[in-house]
Amino acid sequence: MEILQYSVRKLIAGIPLVLGVTFISFLLMVYFGPDKTYELLGKNPTPEQIEEVRRELGYDQPFLTRYALYVQEIATLNFGSSESSGELVSSLLARTIPVSIALITPGFVLGNLLGVLFALIAAYHRGSWADKFIMGASAVGMSISFLIAIIAFQIIFSSNFGLGLFPVRGWNVHSFGDYLSYVTVPTLATVFVALGYNTRFYRAVIVEEMTRDHVRTAKAFGTPPARLFYKNILKNSMIPIITRVVFSIPFVVISGSLLIESYFGIPGVGKVTFDAITSGDQPVLKAVVGLTAALFVLAQLLTDILYRAVDPRVSLT
Amino acid sequence: MQAPAQQCTVAIRGRPGRSFVVIALAVACLVGCDGRDSSTPEATTASDIKVFRYSMGGAPTSLDPVQTRSVYANFVVVNAFDTLYSYKYLARPYRLKPNLATELPEISEDKLTYTIRLKPGVHFIDDPAFPDGIGREVTAADFVYSIKRHFDPAMRPQGAWLWQGRIAGLNEWKAAGSDYAEAAEGLQALDRYTVQIRLTRPYPQLVYTLAMGYSALVPREAVESYGREFAIRPVGSGPFKILSFNTAKVVFARNPRFRSEPVDIWYEGYDPPTQSFTGVERIDGRAPPFLDRLEIDFIPEGSARWSSFTKGDEIQYAGLPDEQVDLVLESKDPVTLKDEYARKYHMRTGLEAGFVFTSFNMMFEEFGYNPDSRRERRNRLLRCAVRKGFDWSQRNESFYMGIARVFPGVIPPAVPEFNADMSDDSIRYDPEGARQLLAEGGWTPENLPVLIYGTVSSVKSRLFYEQFRAWMKIIGYPPEKIVLKRYATFGDITRAWSRSELPFNGKGWLLDFPDAENTLQLFYGPNGSPGSNDANYSNPEYDALYERASVMLPSPERTAIYRRMNQILIDDCITISGMSRVQIMLWHKNIIAMPDSSIVGGFFLRYVDVDTGDPGQAETLE
Repeated sequence: MEILQYSVRKLIAGIPLVLGVTFISFLLMVYFGPDKTYELLGKNPTPEQIEEVRRELGYDQPFLTRYALYVQEIATLNFGSSESSGELVSSLLARTIPVSIALITPGFVLGNLLGVLFALIAAYHRGSWADKFIMGASAVGMSISFLIAIIAFQIIFSSNFGLGLFPVRGWNVHSFGDYLSYVTVPTLATVFVALGYNTRFYRAVIVEEMTRDHVRTAKAFGTPPARLFYKNILKNSMIPIITRVVFSIPFVVISGSLLIESYFGIPGVGKVTFDAITSGDQPVLKAVVGLTAALFVLAQLLTDILYRAVDPRVSLT
Repeated sequence: MQAPAQQCTVAIRGRPGRSFVVIALAVACLVGCDGRDSSTPEATTASDIKVFRYSMGGAPTSLDPVQTRSVYANFVVVNAFDTLYSYKYLARPYRLKPNLATELPEISEDKLTYTIRLKPGVHFIDDPAFPDGIGREVTAADFVYSIKRHFDPAMRPQGAWLWQGRIAGLNEWKAAGSDYAEAAEGLQALDRYTVQIRLTRPYPQLVYTLAMGYSALVPREAVESYGREFAIRPVGSGPFKILSFNTAKVVFARNPRFRSEPVDIWYEGYDPPTQSFTGVERIDGRAPPFLDRLEIDFIPEGSARWSSFTKGDEIQYAGLPDEQVDLVLESKDPVTLKDEYARKYHMRTGLEAGFVFTSFNMMFEEFGYNPDSRRERRNRLLRCAVRKGFDWSQRNESFYMGIARVFPGVIPPAVPEFNADMSDDSIRYDPEGARQLLAEGGWTPENLPVLIYGTVSSVKSRLFYEQFRAWMKIIGYPPEKIVLKRYATFGDITRAWSRSELPFNGKGWLLDFPDAENTLQLFYGPNGSPGSNDANYSNPEYDALYERASVMLPSPERTAIYRRMNQILIDDCITISGMSRVQIMLWHKNIIAMPDSSIVGGFFLRYVDVDTGDPGQAETLE
């Protein structure tokens, strides 16, 4: 009951946040975003034809009228059709978000699990060669651009110049075997780059926790290392870990990964979002921004609830 | 359409706690399964069906014929829809031929009335938009409806410029509210299979426009049934029907009801000395399409495209990326492949039907027209000096593998009116001559005007700018006076061109049809901004010649007029032009095809066949 009440309060409190984010985003879209008019016009347009297209796009309406319409669209979850393809925005997102989730989830899960694992090893062996090796490898992973990692992994694992074990590109998934074959290389590239950031972050959190009094006391009482790490260190490190993981979820769901999707030819929401930004496809952008803001509110709520779950001292009031 | 869950099969055993990662992967697979393809029998990837995987450097956003402004959209659309005319598969120079029409149009004596008969018995693909889901026969009324759509603002059309003011009554039909129940005076279906087009003045290029994706025939039922989603759910009568379409690829299956029309390769323009290596003799006498499945991958990234092409079991056609030139080519003149690549791939070079050029915007008093006639004369000298300082040869070497074709003026080699004997003065790099012209005009580093160089934000555009600035420095134009102005998207810079906001416009133009009128109209006065004459050039002599030639059928006299117009542009130093790029096309040896990405465009895909036997057998074809 306490959680339910808290959730309702938190969701209501999130409404101004959603309105604020959408207002600022819409302001940027309208005044600084690309003008779709000239992409929709044919060659040799007349001034009348330019006006017709602007009218069709709603550009002739005052800003506040357009924003009010946007709020109405968020409330009804009806964002109309894409200005580029004519496809209903809801269908477009329903078609592409699952693909992006399927694409990013393995890398996201493995990147975080392995990050915690390596961070524990590095923290436990702090100052030793293992710690230095893991931190060095993390720095290498962080230093290599995602784009280079993608191209290198594609050449090494997929192309005929390398091992040629996986498809270079595509998303023709009809079975779990297909899925593994298409998702492996993108996942390796994602993990390679994300692991460095995750490991360094989690190591810092764990090292800080290891220096706390209760850990020293537990050590003095002879707590076995595994139990010490699981119960006294990892559990108490969960607050920042949860924060990092949960707040990444909206990006995983909505943004996908533009580079991965482009280079591997995967029809996910990342590419759709990028195309909408560069072409000024406002219905799609409005939906993506609105959905991202709403997901952040939910992520915030979920984070608070999980805080409570891992730390009884946290109160949901 | 969501994937049926049973398409993804995964066995999960053991304790749930241990299976967390497996479950996460399985769930991810379930939500990401591509159910649309798998639900259709055509999606089978069995080796007994013929599949061709083509690739393009960009993706169309809409497959509605009224929105085929981009070359990518036009390329795809002509495979799903029918046009009245198309181009002969193998003939170069390009030649029109009937497609859905029975023959070339009957043209009245006054050249104002075109009568075209459609082939009977042609059907649209089966689709739920039709009663009982069975595609009905294509009729003349469909053509009338399809052209009228370009004059209906609700359709967001892009092709009206081809026919506005030329086909009688269409402008009036639009002004009266675009009511499809009302007739347009100059566009009539005389009977079920006969179309009559009446023009306001002779328009020799009309037949070319009827081979463009814009003029493809669509069924009204489907447009009304799907509304704006018709752009992603095309219903046509072309050789293929679309199974799926997204930002990464479009997948077609053979249209089983496509009319049977055996290929006569000699009629198509077969030239054995230059084309026999492709194996196209093997399609002679057989009715296309020959593919069971056609996939077009949209791959802007050169490295991914090349890796996929060389993989062997993925895309089977690709343009050669610039960065692979030294690795793959034995020589550039003539273009030949190294042995290891020649053994695996067919290759041909294709000169683009278009060109790149940079024009001065004459509305800017600093460079163009000026109330002060003396200043106007000095401006001309300034423009000519900048042109002389432009090093086409270096531009070609730096960015186009050194194999592009530089030519004087705006009539490119792809059109029959091209003059190979024209003086190359206007494209010769001559920094000393440029300095002399600046001195003659009284231009000094102090009084030269600031030149705003507008471009889309990209690395390559930046390099173009830096190279240009370096050339200008050589002729004495201070680098700080060549100012870069970047635009985030192509739409943004198009807006700047249309609003006449830039003094110096660098762009590419791809021909809509093989007729020099299509490039000469870029400098026709009445086409000034927001029209395609963003140089805002206005010369009464040029305009009069354009108007005279625009109603003439192809003839030596018209060619002479075109060439005179070309010379006027060169003499006035309006534009720094031009260069037609050359694409090196590669395809796997088991593919029987003569690819063309220019005028024939997507029409060639219906003639593509796959040698399903031993790959070594295909090599022996040569």
